[in-house]
Amino acid sequence: MSCTVDNSIFEKLHKNESWLYTNVSALSTITFQDNEDAHAEFVELYDISKNSPFVVFVNGIFQENASRLSGSITINTGSGEVAKRSDSQIPRGACDGVHITGTQQKTIHVLQIVAGEAPVACYGSVFIHANEGESISVAETNVGIGNCDHLLMPCTEVIAEKNSSVTIVRAIRGSKKAYHLSSLHVEQHESSKVQTHTLTLAGKRTRNEVYAYLDGKDCESNFDGMYMLGQDQLVDNHLRVEHNMPGGNSREFYKGILDKNAKSVFTGRIYVKEDAQQTDAKQTNQNILLTDDAEAFARPQLEIYADDVACTHGATTGEIDDEAMLYLQTRGIPADAAKTLLIYAFLNESLDELTDDEFRSNLVEELLSNLPGGEFIRELYL
Amino acid sequence: MTTPLLEIKNLHASVEDTEILKGLNLTVLPGEVHSIMGPNGSGKSTLSSVIAGHEAYEVTEGSILFNGIDLLELEADQRACAGVFLAFQYPIEIPGVSTKFFLKAAVNAIRKYRGQDELDAMDFLDLVEEKAKSVNLNTDLLDRNVNQGFSGGEKKRAEIFQMAMLNPMLGILDETDSGLDIDALKIVAEGVNKLRSPERGFVVITHYQRLLDYIVPDYVHVLMDGKIVKSGDKSLALVLEEKGYAAFEPSGCSCGC
Ligand SMILES: Nc1ncnc2c1ncn2[C@@H]1O[C@H](COP(=O)(O)OP(=O)(O)O)[C@@H](O)[C@H]1O
Ligand SMILES: [Mg+2]
Repeated sequence: MSCTVDNSIFEKLHKNESWLYTNVSALSTITFQDNEDAHAEFVELYDISKNSPFVVFVNGIFQENASRLSGSITINTGSGEVAKRSDSQIPRGACDGVHITGTQQKTIHVLQIVAGEAPVACYGSVFIHANEGESISVAETNVGIGNCDHLLMPCTEVIAEKNSSVTIVRAIRGSKKAYHLSSLHVEQHESSKVQTHTLTLAGKRTRNEVYAYLDGKDCESNFDGMYMLGQDQLVDNHLRVEHNMPGGNSREFYKGILDKNAKSVFTGRIYVKEDAQQTDAKQTNQNILLTDDAEAFARPQLEIYADDVACTHGATTGEIDDEAMLYLQTRGIPADAAKTLLIYAFLNESLDELTDDEFRSNLVEELLSNLPGGEFIRELYL
Repeated sequence: MTTPLLEIKNLHASVEDTEILKGLNLTVLPGEVHSIMGPNGSGKSTLSSVIAGHEAYEVTEGSILFNGIDLLELEADQRACAGVFLAFQYPIEIPGVSTKFFLKAAVNAIRKYRGQDELDAMDFLDLVEEKAKSVNLNTDLLDRNVNQGFSGGEKKRAEIFQMAMLNPMLGILDETDSGLDIDALKIVAEGVNKLRSPERGFVVITHYQRLLDYIVPDYVHVLMDGKIVKSGDKSLALVLEEKGYAAFEPSGCSCGC
């Protein structure tokens, strides 16, 4: 069965300060349908790395036939313990989920698809437990298919024990009509390393929450994000990073391109507890607005109770760099191609960080097909 | 009579409503090298920006013809395709854009405009090897982003390398010599000299006479306060070197004339 969702909560969510710019009240009036179809044709489209483990959920239901599990991947329902620490208001409910532990040789691909002629809502749950010294990489793809108001609410929880390393990519793809309300909850212990990359290439309203608890000393955390949005699209990247122990190093680096009337909201709260001396926290949000109608809101929120810390934040919002445009044009490159090249360069800086080659080139393809003039880049680079 | 490569008449140009060029005249025939010298702030870079097509500079009066066509009617990229090349005084860095891909886009855009076939990857790389050698540029640099992590000298040599790749009719060098040591200066000059031909022309903007020992100009012009105040042959550069620009101030002439 699909997941049941009490959607009345969405009606007033935006009255809440943390949802100020992200109105999803339309969700409260949508009647979500059950849909148990396997939609194998869409799954095939997003089976990007055929030699890697693959865990597929369609409309919230685990798809055994389409999946390729390996040793330490089990299917169950979410644990919820890390998620409970946050004040996330995205609803949770019982649903199929996946539990991953033990060092993995390859990136594990987790696909959440929502499809159907009528709106479907689903949760999704990924639980990652890296034990001491283990290393795990997970690439999640969240896709809405079709022209209706689907709702995806994937929740990923990570426990990174001492000296472990976890990398998570979350790519939001597919329909520009779907709602994606995702949350990522990270608990880190001594000298662990966690990197997340949140890439928003689709969706009508997308909220990407990251809650990170640096509970051990000397943790390293990198939270990156990239987005490219156009007409009637909004992304809200909402982060809270808690430095609870000394020596933590956290980076938040979010950048995106906004075309037409697209909007971006970035809220980055960095909380540094009294004991968390020698914390180094850096936060950056860069936006390029292609039109006068596009808007970007950046809200750094620093809450610092220790005295020996380095916290910086910076937000830039601007247009395509005129001087760079001129330089390219004086070399014979026409203005529209120069613009495409600069947009691609800006976004590709984030994609370059992705370590899984097949996943990266698949995303580059999607980026280029969304980018006006992307064909020019494809010819040039490929 | 040959059509001038570049014919600038009574050029007035402003930036943010301040007039910088105040009635400048300059004619460059095919095969000629003209040097423009002038103190800081006299308008040398403004002139090169206006010729290249920088939109921040507004031409309020006068004309620029290139091979008889009205250059001011063309966008910056069309000017490049038509055969104008500017080696920037301060080449900018472009994060995320690889030099090699950028150059391939440039070379092929220009070839397309000129009705030539686009170069395939092999031919392009052959051309890169050949031209990089001519300015002693390490091709490893071309895997970096445009001008990023280049030393000052590498940036200047990369500009001359780009000029060689793009094969222009008119090359404008805006203080390509500044910041170069004597060896780098010779390499740059040699790169330019190799491109000299009966069809091609150059405008070499410089602050110092020493570059002109290596790129020997046919004419030297002194630019002061947005106007050419004196023109002569290469010996004028030596006069400048000796007496300084003060000698050419419209008032207070010290040359005893
Ligand atoms: N983009 C600009 N905005 C404002 N003023 C400018 C700009 N570019 C040039 N100028 C001014 O124009 C004058 C001439 O500058 P420039 O052409 O760069 O001189 P040069 O290259 O001879 O040193 C200077 O006074 C400079 O401050
Ligand atoms: Mg200058």
